[in-house]
Amino acid sequence: MADICYEDETSACESRPLWSSRKWRIGVQRFRMSPSEMNPTASTTEEEDKSEGIYNKRNKQEEYDFMNCASSSPSQSSPEEESVSLEDSDVSISDGNSSVNDVAVIPSKKTVKETDLRPRYGVASVCGRRRDMEDAVALHPSFVRKQTEFSRTRWHYFGVYDGHGCSHVAARCKERLHELVQEEALSDKKEEWKKMMERSFTRMDKEVVRWGETVMSANCRCELQTPDCDAVGSTAVVSVITPEKIIVANCGDSRAVLCRNGKAVPLSTDHKPDRPDELDRIQEAGGRVIYWDGARVLGVLAMSRAIGDNYLKPYVTSEPEVTVTDRTEEDEFLILATDGLWDVVTNEAACTMVRMCLNRKSGRGRRRGETQTPGRRSEEEGKEEEEKVVGSRKNGKRGEITDKACTEASVLLTKLALAKHSSDNVSVVVIDLRRRRKRHVA
Amino acid sequence: MPTSIQFQRSSTAAEAANATVRNYPHHHQKQVQKVSLTRGMADVPEHVELSHTHVVGPSQCFSVVVQDVEAPVSTVWSILSRFEHPQAYKHFVKSCHVVIGDGREVGSVREVRVVSGLPAAFSLERLEIMDDDRHVISFSVVGGDHRLMNYKSVTTVHESEEDSDGKKRTRVVESYVVDVPAGNDKEETCSFADTIVRCNLQSLAKLAENTSKFS
Repeated sequence: MADICYEDETSACESRPLWSSRKWRIGVQRFRMSPSEMNPTASTTEEEDKSEGIYNKRNKQEEYDFMNCASSSPSQSSPEEESVSLEDSDVSISDGNSSVNDVAVIPSKKTVKETDLRPRYGVASVCGRRRDMEDAVALHPSFVRKQTEFSRTRWHYFGVYDGHGCSHVAARCKERLHELVQEEALSDKKEEWKKMMERSFTRMDKEVVRWGETVMSANCRCELQTPDCDAVGSTAVVSVITPEKIIVANCGDSRAVLCRNGKAVPLSTDHKPDRPDELDRIQEAGGRVIYWDGARVLGVLAMSRAIGDNYLKPYVTSEPEVTVTDRTEEDEFLILATDGLWDVVTNEAACTMVRMCLNRKSGRGRRRGETQTPGRRSEEEGKEEEEKVVGSRKNGKRGEITDKACTEASVLLTKLALAKHSSDNVSVVVIDLRRRRKRHVA
Repeated sequence: MPTSIQFQRSSTAAEAANATVRNYPHHHQKQVQKVSLTRGMADVPEHVELSHTHVVGPSQCFSVVVQDVEAPVSTVWSILSRFEHPQAYKHFVKSCHVVIGDGREVGSVREVRVVSGLPAAFSLERLEIMDDDRHVISFSVVGGDHRLMNYKSVTTVHESEEDSDGKKRTRVVESYVVDVPAGNDKEETCSFADTIVRCNLQSLAKLAENTSKFS
């Protein structure tokens, strides 16, 4: 435990300078915000003060850097902050030059960057007819910032996890998987997405097996039992969105569907035990698929891949299937959802419904100044979701956190699933992929 | 290694059981049979062999799972004998409530709620045998929402001596009889039930070994 904590701290320390450096450049852009847009940021800062954890501390550090760059005057009370300030000063000069170059030479690229700074997305989770909520959702815009001498890009992370047996594997995935992907992404030079995702999922799987070494939430009833709880697992469908690509890594029977030019394009394939290639793999490993209320591995588990479920290895593996899709102007949105939705709603029907929501919203011409969503709020949302009673759903009132149209689309999909008598938890994330032109303020 | 040993024992027992079945004349296969599921195992006390002798109907199947535990018999039995609290080691159990009796006397009935992801919702189970002296516990399934109709299991704990190293160890034997549901065959039904029982006994072994370490 101590070693793990130490490593985390080291990692945080190592990444802080880079974050500070990038933050300064972002700060310059934000400095052009109108005064009305500044207020949501201030509000965000206040709420972030209550956050805990290394990841959230980074967010707080970012916000501090921004305020500093914007010429607000927080008092510098610690050597560390002085150090950060020095770095800011150094970066400031070069950033000025870089900024001039960007404006003069690559205006269109700047537009793309501005667009991708703020992904629009919405999320809804309902317990449904099952008595326990075992789904989890992770939303981490800008979780990786890549910077070279030629460009600056941000990557955004969205994950949906459908737990079974208990909730703690899905909860653990929500807390950690994006951090593992981030580590792999920052250490990988060639952007080999398949290997990066496979390593991340393998590490996640090993972590949940060793759950006794970490602190579980009080909600998890496994606390009362022996730590070696092998019969719990989760699906994981993860999407990383970069300016050029949509990467999807899937393990289990949740699903990612892209809407491109009005058509549903699945970016993942469900891992059902009777899928021909999965059936072959299981049998070659010495297992078998038995039809027991549907196709199940050894008659027990209705999916052929999952994070956790140690007692069914090697038949149930945690290796993800990875797809990398180039983004196009025709991309409209991406849906990540659990099988609570897909078991009762087709890809096409889901796309049609979301499309109506987004088009109706954009047709009204309402554009609200949006602040970047901090990771902590995503976690807060998660906590709220877990406290929901049967049939309740996240409301769309918190427009300052997620885009209202995307949230409404997510809520509508969950309502549709319940109307079609889904018997499972339902979790939906809708991500607006349309590129929006922004006017230059400079 | 424990898994390997366990697997070998199971195979031996299964083969012995099959041999027993094959000894009957062909025209008797439609009748009820008496099957001894520990025949062929080494060093089995008489009361254990009697406990694992089942009456098997024509559309039923049966199997046995063996788990060696490196912990005293008393420790294993203290966990196993809690009919009212199976979730201590049965990780497919989400919760359990005794609905008839006190959970200790024969005839008690418990309602077991099953965790999500499994092809079952709940099970009503009656305590048939509770022998604290010989360490024998048995229950039968009398209702619920699942496909294991007329399931009856017997679990025993005894001390056995390994031939290889002469060291005494605790051996848990669980045998069961159950109806073969429509749409499945005997092999599939035993494969499913064996997976559940094996997972339970492995968890029992881990818990007992951890408990005995700290005591």
